Amino acid sequence: MSDRIYLGLPGLATDVTTLKEVFRYRVNMYTIKEEREIEPETFAHLVSSTLYEKRFGPYFIEPVMAGLEKTPSGAYKPFIAATDLIGCLNFAKDFVVAGTASTKLYGVAEGLWEPDLEPEDLFETCAQTLLNAVDRDAYSGWGAEVHLITKDKVIKRTLKGRMD
Amino acid sequence: MATASVYKGAGFDFSNEVRNTFLSERGIPLPKATSTGTTIVGCLFKDGIILGADTRATEGPIVADKNCEKIHFITDNIRCCGAGTAADTEFTTALISSNMELHALSTGRKPRVVTAMTMLKQMLFRLVPQPTHYHRPPSSIAPFPYRYQGHIGAALVLGGVDATGPQLFTIHPHGSTDKLPYVTMGSGSLAAMAVFEAKWQPNMEVRIPHAHPLPTYAHSPPPPPQRAEALDLVCAAISAGIFNDLGSGSNVDACVITASHTEMLRNLVKPNERVQKERSYQFRRGTTAIKKESIRSLIVDEDVTSITGEAMDIS
Amino acid sequence: MASAEGGAYSYSLTVFSPSGKLVQIEHALAAVSSGTTSLGIKASNGIVIATEKKSSSILIDDSMIDKVSVICPNIGIVYSGMGPDFRVLVAKARKSAQAYWKVYGEYPPTKVLTQEIATIMQQATHSGGVRPYGVSLLVAGWDITRGPCLYQVDPSGSYWAWKASAIGKNMVNAKTFLEKRYNDDISLEDAIHTALLTLKEGFEGHMTEKTIDIGIVTVPSQAELEAGKIEGTGRVKPTFRKLSEEEVRDYLAM
Repeated sequence: MSDRIYLGLPGLATDVTTLKEVFRYRVNMYTIKEEREIEPETFAHLVSSTLYEKRFGPYFIEPVMAGLEKTPSGAYKPFIAATDLIGCLNFAKDFVVAGTASTKLYGVAEGLWEPDLEPEDLFETCAQTLLNAVDRDAYSGWGAEVHLITKDKVIKRTLKGRMD
Repeated sequence: MATASVYKGAGFDFSNEVRNTFLSERGIPLPKATSTGTTIVGCLFKDGIILGADTRATEGPIVADKNCEKIHFITDNIRCCGAGTAADTEFTTALISSNMELHALSTGRKPRVVTAMTMLKQMLFRLVPQPTHYHRPPSSIAPFPYRYQGHIGAALVLGGVDATGPQLFTIHPHGSTDKLPYVTMGSGSLAAMAVFEAKWQPNMEVRIPHAHPLPTYAHSPPPPPQRAEALDLVCAAISAGIFNDLGSGSNVDACVITASHTEMLRNLVKPNERVQKERSYQFRRGTTAIKKESIRSLIVDEDVTSITGEAMDIS
Repeated sequence: MASAEGGAYSYSLTVFSPSGKLVQIEHALAAVSSGTTSLGIKASNGIVIATEKKSSSILIDDSMIDKVSVICPNIGIVYSGMGPDFRVLVAKARKSAQAYWKVYGEYPPTKVLTQEIATIMQQATHSGGVRPYGVSLLVAGWDITRGPCLYQVDPSGSYWAWKASAIGKNMVNAKTFLEKRYNDDISLEDAIHTALLTLKEGFEGHMTEKTIDIGIVTVPSQAELEAGKIEGTGRVKPTFRKLSEEEVRDYLAM
C-alpha cells in the first residue's frame, strides 16, 4: 500500500483484485489530498469503513495489515491489524491471521510466537507458522511468501514449501 | 454538501448482494463475521452507573481476540456495552457517538442518555429497502417491499449520568428498549442475571478498586451479601459469564460513571492470564528454506554538498 | 435597470462582467467588511482567535451569542460578516469533520477541513439560484503533521495560511497593528494580549468578557503526544477550546 504499509487480502479472487484497486485508489487520493503519507492506524480505519459500507453485501475478504507507524518522537513502531469481512477491526499486540487456514494458524501462532523477537527470528517464527499451518489446509499452499518490514528495508522472501 | 468521504453517499451499499446470494447458492459459503458471544451488564448504584463486559471475541468456534474492548465511548458521561456482531456494535456506537457530539455542539449542553438511547433504537428499528432479486421468480419475493430491521446485530447496554441523574438502558437488535436498575445482555446474560437477581440491592456503594484489591472470582468465593458492593457485584456477574458461558471469556472490563467523573477500569480482573511459556520456541536462524529473496531499501540516498563562500544572491 | 455599481452584471452571480469580475462576490466582501472585526494570531505554542460580540441593544441576552465555534476537538473558527451564513457553514463543517472521523478514525487536519469549507463557499459562487456566503472565516487548528495552523477563507472560496490576520470592519488598521506587534516567537499568552490590544483599537463601547469571544489552540506537549489516546475513550485530548467568561475577564484585567 505504501513503503511502510502492507496489506494481505485472502478471500475470493475477484474481490482480492477489486479491493486491491479500491485501496490503491483511496490511499493515493489520501496522499494527494492531504499531502502526507497515510499512517497504518489510519489506513486500518479506512479498510474497516470501506468494508462496512457493504455490510449487507460484503466482499468475501478478510484483510490483514502490517506496517510501521511513526511515533510523535519520530521513531517507528510495529503495527498489525486484521478485520473480518465486514470491517470489524482487531488491533492485536501479538499476531493476526486470516484465510482458509486461519483455524490452524491461530493454534500454531499461539504456540510459537513470543514477544520482542529480532527481525530474523520473527521471520523464522512467521515462516514456520505459515508453512506448518498451510500444510494442514487443503485450500492453501503451493508456495509461500514472507515480507519482513523493518525501519530501513523490506525483505521479501519466497519460501520453499509443498507443491501439492 | 461536501463530505470528507469522496467515495460514498450515506447508507449501506447493497451492490454485492445479488452476487453473494448466487455464490452461496452455488455452495460458496460467506466467511464468518466476528461476533461477541459476550456477557455485558450494567447496574445502578448509589452515585451512578457501573457497566461491565468480558473481553472475548469469537469467529464461530474460534476465539478471534482474547482481549477486545466491548465498552464503547459515546460521550464523556455515557458509555455503551455491545454484544452481537462485532462490526455492528463497533460502527453503531461510533455513529451514535458522532451524532451525540454534533448534538452536544449544537445544543451547547451536556448530552443525555435518553438522547443516545432514542437515536440507537430509531437506527436499529429503521426500515431498509429489500434488495431486488432479479434472478428469482416473483413468488419468492417477500409480500412487503420493506422488512423490519434486526439485521444490524447490535445488542447494547447503554448507561450514563446526565442532568436527570443516572440512566441505564438495554437496546435489542430490533430496536426495543428497557429501562431497569440492573441489566444483562449477550450469551452470558443468564449467568450474569442470576448473580444480579441474587445479590443486587438498591443504593449499593462502589468500592474503589485501588484501595482494596479485588478478589479473583476464579478461585475465591464471592463476598457475603451484606458486603456486596456494586463493583464487586459487576465483577461477579461478568465472572459468572466468563466461567459458565462458552461465548464469553478472558478478562473483566468495567466502567464506573458518576455525576462528576467517568472511570474506565480496563482489565479490572484478569482471571485467565496466560502463564510464561516453559521454554522458548524460537527456531534456529536459517531453518526455513528460501527460494528467492529481494530487498527493497527504504533509505533514500542523500548527497550533501557543502556550499562555502558568499551566500547566493536571491534579491 | 442597471444599478450604479455593477451594472446588469450585479444581478447574476454566475456571469462575469466585461472587466472579469464577479460583482456579487465583491458585494459579499463588502458585507464582510461591514461586519465586526475578528482576528487570529499564530504563536509559537498555539493560536488565538478573537472577535467582538456586538449587541445592538442592551436588551439582547448576550450569553447566547456564539461567534467563536468549535468544529471538532482540534479545530475552531471565527467569522466576520453575516451571522446566519456562518451558522450554516459551522453546521456543514462539523458534519464534514464527523464524516472524516467515521472514515479515518481521527479528526481532519486543519488544512483538509479548511479546504472542505472553502469548497462549500466556492460552490456558492458557481451555482445557479444561490448567492455567495457573506462571511470571511478564520480557521484555527492543530494537527500532528503541520502543527498549529491558521487559515483565512473568503466568500470567493479562496484561502490562505496566515501568521496573523484580521477580517471585518477594522481589518486594515488591525492588520497594520498586528504587523507592528508580531514576531515569530511570540508566546500564546502574549498573543492573547496582543489580540485584545488589537481589538481595542477601534472597539466601539466597552470591552468586557461579555463583548469579547476568544478561542485558543494549544499545542500538546511531547509527553501528551506519546501518551496518545485517553484510556478507554479512544479519543485524544482536545487542542481547541473557547475561553470561559472568567478567563476572558482575567486576561482583560491584566
